Amino acid sequence: MDDLSRFKQTYFDESAELLAVAEAGLLRLAPGEVDMDEVNAIFRAVHSIKGGGGAFGFNDLVAFAHEFETVMDGVRNAEIPVTTELVDTLIRANDLLARLLSHASDETEAPAGTTDDTVAALRRFLGKDETPAEEPPAAPPPATVYPDDEDDEAGIFGDALAAIQAARDDQPASGGPIPEGKVRWTIVFRPKAELLLSGNEPTYMLRALRRLGEAEVVCHLDKLPSLRDLDAELLHLSWTVTLLADPQVDRAQIDDVFEFVADDCDIRISAEAPPPAVIPPVEPASVPQPAPVSTAANLPQPAAPAAPPTTPAATTSGSAKPGDGAKRPNGGAGGTGGDHSGPTTHTIRVDLDKIDRLVNMVGEMVITQAMIAEHLRDLPPGQFQELLEGLEGLAQHTRELRESVMSIRAQPVSSVFSRMPRLVRECAAMTGKEVMLVTSGETTEVDKTVVENLVDPLTHMIRNSIDHGLEGPDERERIGKPRAGTVHLSAAHRSGRIVIEVTDDGRGINRAKVLSKAIEKGLVQPGASLSDEEIDNLIFLPGFSTADQVSNLSGRGVGMDVVRRNISSLGGRIGVYSTPGEGSRFVLSLPLTLAVLDGMVISVGEERFVLPLTNIVESLRPKPADLHGLVNKCDVMMARGEYVRLVHLHRLFGIPKAIDDATKGLVVLVETEDGSRLGLVVDEVLGQQQVVIKSLEANFRRLDGVAAATILGDGRVALILDVAGLREMSRHNTSGSDAGSPSASPSLPAPADRSDQRQRQTV
Amino acid sequence: MSLIKWTEEDDGRIRLGLPSDLDLPMAQPLLDSLRAAFKASVDIGVQADAVERISVACIQALVVAARDAAEQGNSFAILRPSEVLADACEDLGLAGWLKQWRRA
Repeated sequence: MDDLSRFKQTYFDESAELLAVAEAGLLRLAPGEVDMDEVNAIFRAVHSIKGGGGAFGFNDLVAFAHEFETVMDGVRNAEIPVTTELVDTLIRANDLLARLLSHASDETEAPAGTTDDTVAALRRFLGKDETPAEEPPAAPPPATVYPDDEDDEAGIFGDALAAIQAARDDQPASGGPIPEGKVRWTIVFRPKAELLLSGNEPTYMLRALRRLGEAEVVCHLDKLPSLRDLDAELLHLSWTVTLLADPQVDRAQIDDVFEFVADDCDIRISAEAPPPAVIPPVEPASVPQPAPVSTAANLPQPAAPAAPPTTPAATTSGSAKPGDGAKRPNGGAGGTGGDHSGPTTHTIRVDLDKIDRLVNMVGEMVITQAMIAEHLRDLPPGQFQELLEGLEGLAQHTRELRESVMSIRAQPVSSVFSRMPRLVRECAAMTGKEVMLVTSGETTEVDKTVVENLVDPLTHMIRNSIDHGLEGPDERERIGKPRAGTVHLSAAHRSGRIVIEVTDDGRGINRAKVLSKAIEKGLVQPGASLSDEEIDNLIFLPGFSTADQVSNLSGRGVGMDVVRRNISSLGGRIGVYSTPGEGSRFVLSLPLTLAVLDGMVISVGEERFVLPLTNIVESLRPKPADLHGLVNKCDVMMARGEYVRLVHLHRLFGIPKAIDDATKGLVVLVETEDGSRLGLVVDEVLGQQQVVIKSLEANFRRLDGVAAATILGDGRVALILDVAGLREMSRHNTSGSDAGSPSASPSLPAPADRSDQRQRQTV
Repeated sequence: MSLIKWTEEDDGRIRLGLPSDLDLPMAQPLLDSLRAAFKASVDIGVQADAVERISVACIQALVVAARDAAEQGNSFAILRPSEVLADACEDLGLAGWLKQWRRA
């Protein structure tokens, strides 16, 4: 049960946290000064563990937690006075609960009588001095219902419980631990009655499953009619197969078995892997056993120092001090039978603010390291070799640290992609089109902020593709395409960025219509001559819509410009490529992280800029013969056999005292995500550096051609250039006098207000 | 097409001899034979040593017949099931059922 095991792991992780809460509370509990909030917190922690355990059918655990909870209920109702003895017993109960959780996690049975002593001790506080042997709490009938007056399970474990219940309803009573290195598949195979009429024989399928591993086949006879009512050729049998297979056997192999009958039966396939092995504690005899619920101590790092005991000695007494040494009562059996110190967790929850602080500090460290490197340049050559080597190592480690920290914030895009099938289904239903969504690269990881901000743009783009791009099924059939259109959503890492593509096999952008619409809306001057690419990019202009009728889906003219703005705000770019009759492709290119980037520092006049390293192809000093001027257009340079547009940064940004002649300065050849090249004329290339990205929008405002800012090693602020933005700026500047040019550069977000217009001239 | 052999024994017992080929088209004749046998007798034996091919539809008919027999207190047995039948029952998760109803 794939989902079930995932929920189980969440349950164990959360239970470990709840145990920690309960233990911390219990340790603070002292006679005379009872903090009811604390008592309530302990009660709710135990209650939540019980509730979740009940959902998974951990009966021993639930029975014990119930005893524990009953006493806590007495404490919170002031029926049971808080004494040192009570606190000791409750701490012991908490430890035992941790051990029971571990057994549940390992799918092992707690030794018989594990809970007897503690239950007896708990019951003494209730005034019920019964011995547990008379009424063994460790083995309640499965149907035992424990009174439940709280509803916090749902709060703690979320909707998972409902899903668990649903999953359990389907789960056969296979039970038992899964052998190490095996995966247990459960296949519920319910053929339709007509299955045999299509020439299929379940025998062969079940036999094929047997070949994949050790199979236990259960045939369900409950739907069989009587001999009188039986129709000889209709099938009334169904099967549940429990297959113990090697990990190499994957879902696809099982799917293959049912490939030809998929439409004639209901098949549910799920998998369970064995729980990860518990890492034995290091030297249990000599190292003090950490508190069972300490998250740090439960990390799978045997070499990590044990967490210090959290127990202040004054608050506990007797033999039940957690963390007081190697000896700890194990279910009253003198340490026998209890090989678990608590549940193991494989994840820790960390507040996002803490991670962001860490990211920030790493960013500052990168800057400091750059500053030190800057000072090193002033050292006399040949001296301080060891210092230089040390700093080289530091630079390397800083880079690795940066990558590790960034990976903490990284999340797979699957969390966004998984929302899309539903969207596609809804859009298809609304438009009456047949749509197939194909996704790939879901595991591609990118910064959490980027992932979170991808939902809206992707939703817009997919809606747009279905609504505008794909033809109706009849039209598709008429032009020889399959009735169902395909929308392909993919993600991939490419040169330090994540590239997400939304491709459809629809009609492509109707350029004549786009152009006439743009002219009609006054976005383009009549008679303008625009390239295909420029026409395609008109769809990103605000207020642009080609839909003849405004539909519920898209076509309100607020879609694609919002998409472009969202993507730009993430430091990304969007491009559209369309072939009439064949379809469109929207390409999003986004930075993997929003914190640090590898850049090349360049100087123009007295200004310094940073160029993202991923954009740079090469730098060169052209000969006069390589340079060509186009009248009223721009300068171009012949580089490696192709003409490249030259962009003088000092002209673009109005920087004085810069080198204007490219043959005396340098040309940095850069490439945008769509493969187009540009030659940036700069004074000097100063060197490569990791820079910490500081948002310009957050601290100042957005500037064309600038992606962000950074602080250099010498403390100066430098702007990080946006190469695609520069290209658009340079086009705008050189073609600004053309009467027919679009009023705004098509692939740049149009200026939102006049202040943006001014900014072009003043910066 | 091979046929199901109907044999009435002296003690009133009916023995149905299954043919080698019990594909889907044989399910209806088998079902008819079983129904007729239950009408005619309270003691039915199904001779299965010749079975070389068998569809799940035929096995299903035998399972239903066995269940009806048990409900009505009639006697029912699969006599000397062939290896093919035993293997098919094993594959279908009916090995236990066959074990319960088989007679050597």
